[in-house]
Amino acid sequence: MPMDEKTKTLQEDFEKNFADLELVIGWETGFDRLHATPVFIRQPSELGKLVWNPLCSQNLSGYLAKNLDASIQEDGKKIGICVKGCDSRSLVALIQENFIDRDRLYIVGIPCEGTVDLRRLMHLKPSLENVRKVDIEGDEAVVETDQETLRFPIENVLARKCLRCLYPNPVIYDTMIGTPLKPRISEDKLYSAVEKFDTSDRKQRLAFWKTEFNRCIRCYACRNACPLCVCQDNCIAESRKPKWLTQRDGIREKFLFHMIHGLHLAGRCTECGE
Amino acid sequence: MRGKTFIAHDELPEVLERLSKTMDVWIPTAINDEKCVIQFLPYQPDRLPVLDRQSTMPPKKVIFPQVETLLHFSRKKDENDPFKSHIELEDEEEVSPVLVFGARPCDVRGFLVFDEVYLNGPYKDPYYAKRREKTLFATLVCETSDNACFCSAVGSGPADQTGSDLWIIPVDSGYVIEALTKRAENLMPEMGKDATEAQIAEAQNVQKKVAALHIGEGDLTQSSDDFEDRFSDNEFWRDMAFKCISCGICTYVCPTCYCFNITDEAKDLDGERIRSWDSCMFNHYTREASGHNPRPSKLERYRNRIGHKFSYFPKKYKGMIACCGCGRCIRRCPVALDIRNVVLSLKKNKENVDV
Repeated sequence: MPMDEKTKTLQEDFEKNFADLELVIGWETGFDRLHATPVFIRQPSELGKLVWNPLCSQNLSGYLAKNLDASIQEDGKKIGICVKGCDSRSLVALIQENFIDRDRLYIVGIPCEGTVDLRRLMHLKPSLENVRKVDIEGDEAVVETDQETLRFPIENVLARKCLRCLYPNPVIYDTMIGTPLKPRISEDKLYSAVEKFDTSDRKQRLAFWKTEFNRCIRCYACRNACPLCVCQDNCIAESRKPKWLTQRDGIREKFLFHMIHGLHLAGRCTECGE
Repeated sequence: MRGKTFIAHDELPEVLERLSKTMDVWIPTAINDEKCVIQFLPYQPDRLPVLDRQSTMPPKKVIFPQVETLLHFSRKKDENDPFKSHIELEDEEEVSPVLVFGARPCDVRGFLVFDEVYLNGPYKDPYYAKRREKTLFATLVCETSDNACFCSAVGSGPADQTGSDLWIIPVDSGYVIEALTKRAENLMPEMGKDATEAQIAEAQNVQKKVAALHIGEGDLTQSSDDFEDRFSDNEFWRDMAFKCISCGICTYVCPTCYCFNITDEAKDLDGERIRSWDSCMFNHYTREASGHNPRPSKLERYRNRIGHKFSYFPKKYKGMIACCGCGRCIRRCPVALDIRNVVLSLKKNKENVDV
């Protein structure tokens, strides 16, 4: 199903079911057509804002646990939420951990061909002006501007997690928009990059992690965007009692923070890439 | 005053190399040639400047490091009485002269906001002052804007020379350089060779073209009263802040955000008192010793961010708003929260507001 049609079907589905909903969480076009942003709709008249396209990268399931109390159902009304394959897996984890009551949700699942990583796109094309539309056609990401149509191989512009995604289809949903997709990768190749990395020696691996973590500015965006980082304002990375990390910005602190983050997510992470 | 000079593209590393012999030269640069993340780092022969796009992080840390040591302390035990000790402090740190090469007008404008608070107020911040005094800015006239940029909407513009010491204008074959302040003149002999008439004329055209650009819509500078009217409209602030995920990236990438935290980081008998960037988006920013927090949710915290930049600050500092329009907070926000939209919305649908 083409992207515009999916957007339309998405809007229509929520219109049909809005009487049972108190809120719809989805994506709308952000400050330009190259950016999508979460939208929270409380009036049916605003459903026209909803969009679906490869820029809808944000995993919205975190809002259910962190912003809204979706663990109890009071008035019988549900929260409508749009999920990609990876997002739906986060929902499952939050339901399993009793942060969300499944009966409180109306889940609209969207099979996803992958999301565009804007940093990778801007690296290739720093000034992208007057973008009208971004879509994925087979192995290409297509960017339409007022002036031209640009095509990029998906290897170069999709978020890396999307290139090795085994779950393009939602694993939990009430309605599915479009037809299920075939994963781009087979299960046996899923961790080939990790396996290759594992063959490098310890020094090389340490050098890799140091370079990667050195970029960290400790803004905690990765933590706060993570749907399963549920400690919120009580993260031990910031607590002074007990004090695990200092306020210093050296590699030691950054490394330790990411180790904490990694270990707390071990066995829970759904690889949404937020 | 010496005239304008010219640096050809291939001569730029040479010039930076020469300059870096006498001062620390900070340039916007990409690590591993991955232009996804561009930050200001001291020039080294293997680091090339990236001047074709705005840096991911502003040069804020050059003068206001993310972490700086204010003093070292060590407890010395009394040899005769082990229950007694005294503290020795050490707080002198030398600062070298610095040139920031290739910042943009918005980046430099950020420091004008800092100056009001750290230099011109009743208290002068000695740590900021000593770096500020020794730092020169060679600023690039800004030809590359995107949809998140809005420097003209905050009273500046892509050709705004305020706060800069040297002015860099890209022309076809290189850069034309001009000294704007007296203290920058000494550097001119190092800045390539004299520019030709034709290069100067080309540069003037670029400057004129860029100066005519208006980047960003509307005027965000007169929002103070609207903010005050909106202050207690909780529904408005709930809607505005709902998508915010309470991370600190908007404040960390902001050239004007100047809040800091001070902590003692000690081990055994020795330690340091450090100052590090803080963020008003974090819960513990206003958490008091008693445990009470006057800004307990992101509604209050986000409202404060808007109020501080567009109302409290201009009220206190001669109408200057604490925003330089660089757009980084919009561009880098994980959920694309648009501060312009929030400020412009202050004015909308005011009939619902209890004034």
